[in-house]
Amino acid sequence: MADATRTSRTTLPLPSLPQRGSVSLFEIVLFLVCLALIAVGLPSSLQDVMLLTFLYAGLALAWNIAGGYAGLISFGHAAFFGVGAYTSTILFVHFGVTPWLGIWCGAVLSAVFGAVLALVCARLRGPFFILSTLAFAEVVRIGALNWASLTGGPEGLSIPPSASLVNMIFASKATYAGLMLGYVLLVYAITKALETSRYGYYLFAIRDDEDAASAAGVNPLLGRTYAMALSAALTGIGGSLFAQYFLYLDPTFVISPELSFQFALLPAVGGLGTAIGPILGSFLITPLSELLRSNLGNAAAGLHLVIYSAGLIVVMLYFPGGLAAAIAKLARWRPFS
Amino acid sequence: MSALLEVRGASRKFGALMAVNNVSFSANEGELLGLIGPNGAGKSTLYNLIAGVLPPTAGTILFEGKDITGWKAYDIARVGIGRTFQIPKPYRQLSVVENVMLTAFLREPSLGAARKLAEATLADVGLADHLGTPVSALTVGLLKRLEVARALAMRPKLVLFDEIMAGLTPTEVGTMTRFVAGLPARGITVIWVEHVLYAIMKTATRMVVLNRGEVIAQGAPAALARDPAVVKAYLGEEMDLA
Amino acid sequence: MNAFGQLVLSGILIGSIYALMSIGLTLIFGVLRVVNFAHGEFLMIAMYGAWSITYLLGLNPYVAIIAVVPAMALFGALVHRMIVKPALDKPHLVVVFATMGLSIFLQNIALMLMTADLLDVPPIFSQALRIGPFYFKVELLLGFLVTLLCTVALQWLIRTTYLGKAIRATVQDGEAAQLMGIPVPRIFLITFAGGSALVGLAACIMLPLFSVFPTVGLNFVLIAFVIVVLGGMGSIEGALLGGICVGVVQSVSSYYIAPAFGQMFFFILFLLVMIFRPNGLLGQKGAATIGMND
Repeated sequence: MADATRTSRTTLPLPSLPQRGSVSLFEIVLFLVCLALIAVGLPSSLQDVMLLTFLYAGLALAWNIAGGYAGLISFGHAAFFGVGAYTSTILFVHFGVTPWLGIWCGAVLSAVFGAVLALVCARLRGPFFILSTLAFAEVVRIGALNWASLTGGPEGLSIPPSASLVNMIFASKATYAGLMLGYVLLVYAITKALETSRYGYYLFAIRDDEDAASAAGVNPLLGRTYAMALSAALTGIGGSLFAQYFLYLDPTFVISPELSFQFALLPAVGGLGTAIGPILGSFLITPLSELLRSNLGNAAAGLHLVIYSAGLIVVMLYFPGGLAAAIAKLARWRPFS
Repeated sequence: MSALLEVRGASRKFGALMAVNNVSFSANEGELLGLIGPNGAGKSTLYNLIAGVLPPTAGTILFEGKDITGWKAYDIARVGIGRTFQIPKPYRQLSVVENVMLTAFLREPSLGAARKLAEATLADVGLADHLGTPVSALTVGLLKRLEVARALAMRPKLVLFDEIMAGLTPTEVGTMTRFVAGLPARGITVIWVEHVLYAIMKTATRMVVLNRGEVIAQGAPAALARDPAVVKAYLGEEMDLA
Repeated sequence: MNAFGQLVLSGILIGSIYALMSIGLTLIFGVLRVVNFAHGEFLMIAMYGAWSITYLLGLNPYVAIIAVVPAMALFGALVHRMIVKPALDKPHLVVVFATMGLSIFLQNIALMLMTADLLDVPPIFSQALRIGPFYFKVELLLGFLVTLLCTVALQWLIRTTYLGKAIRATVQDGEAAQLMGIPVPRIFLITFAGGSALVGLAACIMLPLFSVFPTVGLNFVLIAFVIVVLGGMGSIEGALLGGICVGVVQSVSSYYIAPAFGQMFFFILFLLVMIFRPNGLLGQKGAATIGMND
């Protein structure tokens, strides 16, 4: 939806830098670079980092729909990740349903959980909302931990590693990377579709000023519920994909507050309210944190997290708009309008 | 002329305080109805009752003959009633045009058409040069005009204005007054809560005066200026009826 | 019947100690309008501090109060200056992420310095006290007494001194307080430092009852949040009431309900309070909407 009031630095109809409401050359080039990285055949450990980076980019984009676009800062999204992961895995392991189908069941169930969370927190804002999302996720985690007959409880749930297309289990990490990149593309496409439809604007309005949005005919509760449900569904899909890669689920890791925090952190550092922000956030932080963990994780327990968290504090205080905002100031680029 | 909006015996209680007490009046199509009263008279509360921000604790409100009592703000907007906020509440992360587009969506669901409608409305209130200006850079006067543009972009049948003159320079007050005066001719009925009395006395076709939550007088501006009850209610306040 | 009575009484005692730990959080919440996500870690490092003093100097945690409380006040002031104050004029999520980051930072510093081992102080009182048909650990009673004394002192401070009035004014309306000439930034600092000092006091009386380890804060911060929510943001009496409720509920339910579900029960209680009484049992209206469009 480029129009005369926006800067467009190319002669093509596409803007060169990321912009709300349109795909940009930058993003297309970035995508091609990712494809190239998959095709090139990196060493196995780097392939792990790469596919996790893609997965987290998708998860960050999914979180951003609720957190960045609708203003619903959630520290409980790991609950949806877990619901998606467990649903597709239980259907696969206990009922032989192919993950290609199971993932969508997981998405639907995650959406229901998302809607429930939004309704439970209907009147809450600010820190109370955040704390409630935390509490919600913990209820889900403890439930999963104790419903051993369904989820395998603390022993976890394993997927037998028999590779096949139907099973969505692959021998090659490059294929997994492709799958994760596909996931990013899916969430990115949905994000862009939101930006170019009035529903996206409804979310922005609810985020920026609920009363004004109501006066403009927007129902804030409905908007929040849809945003949370969509965000949850997409996060659930990420969970299912993770399960197919990792082949083992355990509630303590999969529905953890640490994971929830990560889902919120990546978009916050990259830049909320933009599509490129969560992607940049993941592309920067995921490799960094993996690097820190593998190099320092053994040296002194916790050192890598000390550095990581100190860095986080600094970034938050000095770049509150995230990477996207910091780069935007430098490049005189306006990702917002 | 038929009554577009009818308020019948509306009351709103906060604990032991009767902020609005048995208020009845109507706004007819094509009218520019002024709602005035000293501070604490209950104007804002009454305004919020009509706008759907609060439900009345008693009484009914009818719009085009339909009972809208207790309706939520978004349903009231959808039925064709626009409103401004006394302290402007723009969407700070959206551009000026996009701020107006939100309301324009009520008329034009598609992005392109909504944008055109928003641009036209902004031109109408004199903000055509500020389409791309960030909201944070707007002065009070321009923010107030943005508020008006947002309310009008839905092409409302009835628009509620809440002290849109506060903080404007005399020139701006003049421009805005002329603008508002022209709205009824365009098919938009206006209910206007205002403190800057001379603006509203000049343009209103009819006025309702509130004091302590109750209607103390209704009628043409000229008659009200001489009404002893009205004058008494404003005693101690600076009055500029010229 | 005696068993139930014992549970309730123990619950009241431990609940009051939980309340002491939460008063700092509710004051910070009420005055600065921020949730300090590192609150549990403040408790944790204060407990480590008390433990170190006990271990290195051969004293006991109650004596350590003399050192720990001022040290925590200083620590709180430092955190406020370096992290909270710069975050206040930025979007709300900055202070959320910054304090969360601080929480992770402190947990891992503790892990590096003190290892993951559970640390305890040697028992001070060998026998429980018997009052009528009930038994009480002396440490529990002492903790309860300290809390009562502290609450009374705080109430006196809040109701009679200028500082107390300034704090109450800031809780009600920060902008108006500033317009009235109240030095709000200094009130912020004093509240944050004071709240941290209270956490230090709580840590000293909790150490004889609980072990300390790097993630001990996580257990208690949740309890603190529930208490703050129940008691209403900014209310000291509310924190005491909320603490006692939580203590009794925990004491009774841990006896009758399986421990696995004990924690979940807690979170559900939290959510129920959030849904039905987000302003707490005694709190102000609108407390649940702070942070929105501020």
